[in-house]
Amino acid sequence: MSTELERQAAKPTGRKYGSVADLMRGEGVSQEVQERVKELENETRVALQLAKLRQAAGITQEEMAKNLGVTQSAVSKLEGGIDADITLGEIKGYARAMEQRIGVMFGKPLNHVESVKCHALAIRHHLEGLAKIADRDEEMQTHIQAFFGEAFFNILTILAECGEKLPGNGRDFEIRIEMVKQEPSRGAATKPKGPPAPAVAA
Amino acid sequence: MELRMWQIEPTTGWEKDQKHYAKKRPNELAAVMRNLQRYVVLLNVSKNSKAAQAGYLHPEQNGVIAVDQKGGGGNLQETRLYTYADDDKKVIYLIAIGDKDAQHSDVEYCKQFVISLRDKTET
Repeated sequence: MSTELERQAAKPTGRKYGSVADLMRGEGVSQEVQERVKELENETRVALQLAKLRQAAGITQEEMAKNLGVTQSAVSKLEGGIDADITLGEIKGYARAMEQRIGVMFGKPLNHVESVKCHALAIRHHLEGLAKIADRDEEMQTHIQAFFGEAFFNILTILAECGEKLPGNGRDFEIRIEMVKQEPSRGAATKPKGPPAPAVAA
Repeated sequence: MELRMWQIEPTTGWEKDQKHYAKKRPNELAAVMRNLQRYVVLLNVSKNSKAAQAGYLHPEQNGVIAVDQKGGGGNLQETRLYTYADDDKKVIYLIAIGDKDAQHSDVEYCKQFVISLRDKTET
């Protein structure tokens, strides 16, 4: 855009935005362009997530390429390309190289209620798994019991804090947690972390 | 890692260019804006702006970074959105948008912007 002979020097406008979407709305970028950006966003979500994970791990494209056994330009192409071109093998390669777990979900996103139910079932599954292995030895039992106490406290705290955000400050919604001090059956470390007396009430 | 997120600030140069591109080359404008989105995501997880690395980013002189249109679909004219990332303020300035033919003068234009911005910061 610089063929004009008299081009005025660029000056900051003083208007700052936290995201490109906000910028486009705030600056009145045409609806057509905004919609096209959204389309491109939907086509490149996975590619961007892979780039973000690599960047956050402080791994360069060259290092990732070495890990995957490909060239740096192949990594650059993958991260800058569209999701339809990425293979499951490549995602697996990223997870392995970064020693991270990467989950990929397709289809309609879960709504909040479905998501809470899904997580609740997963928590139940994992706690049952822990309970099953708790009798392997005394030390493990102690740690798992302590963890159960901690998880119990944290889950109720989350519920209480979110309840406070309900309309009317959750006046009709009360959660009271009372930590009852118990005599440890075996060892002293069974007491869960958190306040010892009545702790959270919403 | 610092938690403060990067902000985007348009300049008068970008304002003018984006209006032109929105009319004449909307797909190219959308492509560079999408890559700007990706760049901001990377900046937010990077130690500093120099660490952000992607195929659509091209370092120019004086810290100017050109964001190209790659990944925006086929048959797009080569287009560059010129930016400058100020690590201290965590602000990314959008300076201009241009095509391949205007690259040399666009880079010069952006260099002048960065020099004047740095002068203001120092005084």
